[in-house]
Amino acid sequence: MLKYLREEGPSGARLPLILCPGCGSGQVLNFTLQAVDRIILEDHIRKENFVFISGVGCSARLTSHYLNFDSGWTIHGRTLAIATGALLANPALKIIVFTGDGDTGAIGGNHFIHACRRNIDLTILCINNGLYGMTGGQVGPTTSAGTITTTTPYGNTEENFDLCKIAETAGATYVARWTTAHPYQTIRSIMKGIRKKGASFIEILSQCPVHNKTSPVAMLKNLKKNTIRAHKAGESTEGKILIGEFCDLHKPEWNESYQKIIDQFSKEKSK
Amino acid sequence: MKKSLDRYLLQPGVYYLQGSQACIEGAIVAGCRVYGGYPITPATEVMEHAALRLPQVGGRFIQMEDEIASACVLIGATWAGAKAMTATSSPGFSLMQEAISYAIMAETPLVIVNVQRPGPGQGYITASQEDVMQARWGHHGEGSIIALAPASVQEMFELTIEAFNLSEQWRTPVLVMAEEPVAHMRERLVIPPKDDIKIVNRKKPQDVGITPENYLPRSHDIMAPMANWGEGYNVNHVGLVHLEDGNVTKYSPRMHYECISRLQQKIEGNVNKIARVETEFTEGCEHLVVCYGAVSRSSIEAVKEAREERGIEIGFLKLVTLWPFPEAKLREIVGEVDTIFVPEMNLGMMKHPITESLRDRCRRVVSIPSLGILHSPEYILSKIYEELK
Repeated sequence: MLKYLREEGPSGARLPLILCPGCGSGQVLNFTLQAVDRIILEDHIRKENFVFISGVGCSARLTSHYLNFDSGWTIHGRTLAIATGALLANPALKIIVFTGDGDTGAIGGNHFIHACRRNIDLTILCINNGLYGMTGGQVGPTTSAGTITTTTPYGNTEENFDLCKIAETAGATYVARWTTAHPYQTIRSIMKGIRKKGASFIEILSQCPVHNKTSPVAMLKNLKKNTIRAHKAGESTEGKILIGEFCDLHKPEWNESYQKIIDQFSKEKSK
Repeated sequence: MKKSLDRYLLQPGVYYLQGSQACIEGAIVAGCRVYGGYPITPATEVMEHAALRLPQVGGRFIQMEDEIASACVLIGATWAGAKAMTATSSPGFSLMQEAISYAIMAETPLVIVNVQRPGPGQGYITASQEDVMQARWGHHGEGSIIALAPASVQEMFELTIEAFNLSEQWRTPVLVMAEEPVAHMRERLVIPPKDDIKIVNRKKPQDVGITPENYLPRSHDIMAPMANWGEGYNVNHVGLVHLEDGNVTKYSPRMHYECISRLQQKIEGNVNKIARVETEFTEGCEHLVVCYGAVSRSSIEAVKEAREERGIEIGFLKLVTLWPFPEAKLREIVGEVDTIFVPEMNLGMMKHPITESLRDRCRRVVSIPSLGILHSPEYILSKIYEELK
């Protein structure tokens, strides 16, 4: 994996990651690079074609600074619009977008819905730690009702978003949710997402032990305990978070459809 | 672009086009192949023409969910190797400021056309020059900007090309500050032979023999070559204060100062290479009209009339470039004058940098404001006569 990391630059060391001890984001980076490595080997896709884009927040720190790939550490919430532009310029790019729950569910919610609706060929990863970590643990759109955070000192009075349901309803063609306690499943889903010609959304529930003031191990155990596989027969899902694949279908991808329009003009001549 | 699509380029000749159409034709000639936009009056015609024309020349057009996304599309498209643009009007321009600020920091070439409408709020949908200060100061932070002001259909074509050239040359966003009259009017457009049109493309590291191992995306030379995504250069774009290899972790006030002052100097230090003005009757004139955009058309008529009818020694100076403000050029041209008139479709905005530049060269600066409607030559003339009686 080290070949994919940017350990040094002319101005000195880039690693270690800025992330707090016990943070799940580093695990997600590991899962993602495992998936990318297998795709490069199995599908013979050039490493040069992979691009990583991130926004702002803990999840954003994964990309540009530490990766030895083309990358952009961009604007909070605007990752998907920027990624869309890049695909319009070069549809051959394999773009992996790292977002957080703030990026996807709050400030970039509209871009998220429309990227899914357009079914443009992006692999969108959302590292959901259930709060705003980088700014010190504020409530977010995925924070559970009742939770006390620095901006909900009397408890969160709002309901939280189900980002996978949004993605599926909006039109994404591959949607899955895993946790940092499900490494192999996550790696497989990221590979599927990259291979899917269309918008893929993979949510990864992740631990923030610092702002939850608990141990990473306890949080990982909870992620296992509090989740249940979707479509698992005969078990009550009451009070549990569904994990697994929620959809995997085929629809025309944005650039595929647009290419047909371009072709009308480029082929006219040869008649 | 594929050879077979060449025939969709507008051939050299004389056309009768709308300003909005001329803008897109200019963009296509300049090499623009990605357009991301969101409809807004009075800029929608630019977008509609882009939707029609871009796929014909092998480009891609997308209607985004808002102006924020539209401006962001340009950032991604540029990094992936395309020349990209959008057009909007004032409220949409406000939403694009975030992306403009980021693009300045990440040294990202892109072109934004603002067909200005009056504000604040929804204001109205008529003529306006009320965003000239937003163009300069609307984005957060110290970044300098390049902004051009077209005054005709011909200039909508030419200045859009110039905007792309400047953005590629200086790796920065360039604004075309159009107005409703120039975007909507139809008039003669002359498209010159291809060889007479100057096209500038970004300098790439490959062109100057820089290998990926030796590539510094933010070299502290005045202009770092720009590597596109997908070409093996592992380009790392950031919007934080950074060192020349893009490293943001070694923060210090000194690196902060160097990073931002370079970005600012890149534009302000090259103002004489970037900025243009046009003049008439300025040699030894006693009074002067300084103007830009569509107002310059009424202004030149008023100046000619004042000279012919009453023999007033009054000159005409048109700012083709609003920002960076061509202060040195103004001081080179303007000697000692009595009154400087500044007709603008706002309550007096560019009057301020004009006054600042020529304070010691004139007795007074008089604003001639108009809101929602283009000044008529008679109106400007009447104000000149009133002040000089």
